[in-house]
Amino acid sequence: MASAAASNPKLQSQFLDVTYVNNKTGSEVIALKNINLTIEEGEFICIVGPSGCGKTTFLNTIIGFIKPSNGSILLDNKKIEGPGRDRSMVFQSPSLLPWRNVKDNVMYGVELQKRVTSETKKIALEYIEMVGLKGFENHFPHELSGGMQQRVNLARALTVDPSLLLLDEPFSALDAQTREFMQQELLRIWSETKKTSIFITHQIDEAVFLADRVFVFGARPGHLVDDIKIQLNRPRALKIKREPQFLKYVDHIWGLIEHESSKQGFEVE
Amino acid sequence: MKKDETITLGKFKQTKKKISNSQRNFMISTFSVIAFLILWEVCSYYKLVNPLFISSPLKIVEAAGALFVDSAYLNHIGVSTYEFAIGFLFALIIGIPIGIFAGWNQIFNAIINPFVSALYVTPKVALLPIIIIAFGIGITSKIVVVFLMAFFPIVMSAQKAMSTLDQNLIKAARSFTASEFQIFRTIALPSTVPFLLNGIRIGLGQGLIAIVVGEMYASTAGIGYHLTHAGQNLKTAEMFVGVAVIAISGVILTGMIGLIEKKFSSWKPE
Repeated sequence: MASAAASNPKLQSQFLDVTYVNNKTGSEVIALKNINLTIEEGEFICIVGPSGCGKTTFLNTIIGFIKPSNGSILLDNKKIEGPGRDRSMVFQSPSLLPWRNVKDNVMYGVELQKRVTSETKKIALEYIEMVGLKGFENHFPHELSGGMQQRVNLARALTVDPSLLLLDEPFSALDAQTREFMQQELLRIWSETKKTSIFITHQIDEAVFLADRVFVFGARPGHLVDDIKIQLNRPRALKIKREPQFLKYVDHIWGLIEHESSKQGFEVE
Repeated sequence: MKKDETITLGKFKQTKKKISNSQRNFMISTFSVIAFLILWEVCSYYKLVNPLFISSPLKIVEAAGALFVDSAYLNHIGVSTYEFAIGFLFALIIGIPIGIFAGWNQIFNAIINPFVSALYVTPKVALLPIIIIAFGIGITSKIVVVFLMAFFPIVMSAQKAMSTLDQNLIKAARSFTASEFQIFRTIALPSTVPFLLNGIRIGLGQGLIAIVVGEMYASTAGIGYHLTHAGQNLKTAEMFVGVAVIAISGVILTGMIGLIEKKFSSWKPE
């Protein structure tokens, strides 16, 4: 999948350092240290690591909330300077406007980018259908379950037609069953859209199930420990999670994270 | 009999019971008001309490009948309504933008916050003597008092609403390249509505107090003026008519706020 686009990287992180000043103590905290990685067009990337490994910081730097203190991130060979129309994020909390119905929430991103046209409205409805919310267009967020709210969150991010989709632990608040179901749904949607995606998670089996490649981050300061290519055939069904090959990947990543954590004296989350 | 039925049918009766609960409560309320009026009438009729102090419901109705065809009394109501409406309108027009801006801009907030906090807790009627000196005993001074009383709860509520914005929503908006103004318009403003209506509700009550106290203190017309004079001349029934007019106005205005609230918060879970 990556081979065809190998000469044309989607996202490059070059010598990236992120440092921020703790507001209370005034001391400097190194969140990320020397992150070098390349993501190809159409790849699904998962990032795992112990808490404090800077994976959320990394995502916030890509979306443009945080400025690198050193190095840079290039998206389509253009340096990221701040939030842009070429990226969108699915948040950990659904972050939906409670006074807007599903349709207007899905249109929110497009509206902020001043791109409300009959064309984008049609796209929004298509994504509402794709995430399985056809018939719920006029429902308000409080009328939806947690899983359905995250579907709206996803549809909103897709409707702006990003070149890169970022997902920040979007399923972490869901119960185990809904979570597994949503993982499968996400893969289906991803295979239909072919968006380059970066997905952050705590759960290793989630990462292995979803990803083309898993980046393992280590903590204090956050750094890239390993880049693991997941060679499992697609489309993947949930039962793949019980296959020896799958479990081997999970075991391997567990080992890496455990090693990192013990080195740092932190518990694995 | 009814009660037995409910118990035997258990949870199947639950929804039906809920409806009859609210109906039952309404009937109890109605009954308690009627009982109170009868008790009041009886106390007055048998002189258990000096009728000079408490009048009686029938005498109040009689007095109301006479006053509401008297053009002088209607004029009093007109004056008070005018004072209240203008004062309250100014409180809304000036209070809402100031409160919202204070909640949005930390520097502006730092400038006005000491004054707003101090004046919020100050009984504004304490300023009446100065207001009368400055604005006279006519309607202007009453407009000023109504404005002052209603202004601060409205400012405070708008300010509070702004400071409790959902940061997750703002983060999401920023990720879609939202400008400050877009965040203000699409997140901050809609978030303030429930808080604001609450502040307006408090402001209404305060404004009604202001109108009566202002007119009692120094004036030549208005319900408060009429009420004071009726009381001083031992026309207790007429005085109670004034009290009733104010109370009913308050209930109606608060009810209107309730309706607006319902309309604006249809998205809210019950």
